[in-house]
Amino acid sequence: MRESLLRSIGLALAAAYAFFIGWLYIRQPQTVAEMTGAMSASIGVYQVDETAFADGLRLFRASQFEASRLAFDRADRAHQDPRTQFYIAYSYYRQGWGRVYNDDVLFQRGLEAIDRAIAAAPNGRIVVEDRDLQMRSGDELKAELQAGLRREASDFNPLKVFRQRK
Amino acid sequence: MIREAFVLPLTFLTVTLVGGIRVADRIVLVPPPLFSLVLAFLLLGLLVRSGALAPERLMNGARSPLQNAGGAVILLTAFVAAAQAFNAAIPEAGLPRLLFSVFLFVLLVNTSAAAPDRVRVLRSMLVIFGSAFILKFIILAALSDPAGGWLKRTLLAMLEGLTLGTLSQEPYRPVTGYVAFAALALFIGSLALLPARQTTALTRTS
Repeated sequence: MRESLLRSIGLALAAAYAFFIGWLYIRQPQTVAEMTGAMSASIGVYQVDETAFADGLRLFRASQFEASRLAFDRADRAHQDPRTQFYIAYSYYRQGWGRVYNDDVLFQRGLEAIDRAIAAAPNGRIVVEDRDLQMRSGDELKAELQAGLRREASDFNPLKVFRQRK
Repeated sequence: MIREAFVLPLTFLTVTLVGGIRVADRIVLVPPPLFSLVLAFLLLGLLVRSGALAPERLMNGARSPLQNAGGAVILLTAFVAAAQAFNAAIPEAGLPRLLFSVFLFVLLVNTSAAAPDRVRVLRSMLVIFGSAFILKFIILAALSDPAGGWLKRTLLAMLEGLTLGTLSQEPYRPVTGYVAFAALALFIGSLALLPARQTTALTRTS
């Protein structure tokens, strides 16, 4: 009886450990905060720091993008909240956008952030109801960032300087 | 019983976890490539042939379903750990990866053909993984080090005329080598703990 119990515990431990290892290899967390955040998100108990998020949003609206990202990072340490990652991606877009040319490095980081947001969102769908934004879905923002990174003949169109930042 | 239920599965799973860790600018967990699976399969075959692993002691008709399930877990985790041990020992890219893969494949086939006993096979594993570790984490790492050092200068002098582009690897932080060393040491130690084939002593009667 005791042997059966020990063997059952051993099997359960091995199964749980194997599941954990498989999960780590799939999610590839970079920090302990990301790991614990991703684990709590997978069981639906992950929460962002709302105060830090509000700070980030205020700085974002004041066009202080680098400061807003610091606050957003503090709010979502594990990079698991789709809404916060959406705003981080948007901040990279607005900071990197240029009338003549875009900053590719910032656009690339924005693309990475929106990919994180889409990966964390249920069914990959993210919509942010914010009247200050012209792009309110993850798909729009991702398409805009991808378009900004593409090299096309239309990039040399002089009328491009009249386009507006979204 | 404790060894079979806890020690072996958990140490093999730890090797599986640790064997894929690479630390550069970010931490990456690298799953085993397909060829590592082939090498792991060969290694398990070699262990069975030499008697270092007796699968019949882990799974047979006389054991209860729970005991057989535990045996199957050991075999499965040993296979995955072997694949990750090869993943840790083989370089990541380029010519060294091809050469190491072929070298390890030939070594395993050759060792298998020699039909060694358990102790010799375990010694052979120690030499195989030890030499692969030294080549990857000391020699190749020195050649791939962008800062360079005395070892790199010495090796460059020895390899005069050879283009380093074919040899250099992505430079990892030193901690990667320590982690890989721990994984390989744990793996070799775990192999020694596997249930071996029981031999019966023959006595001459006159």
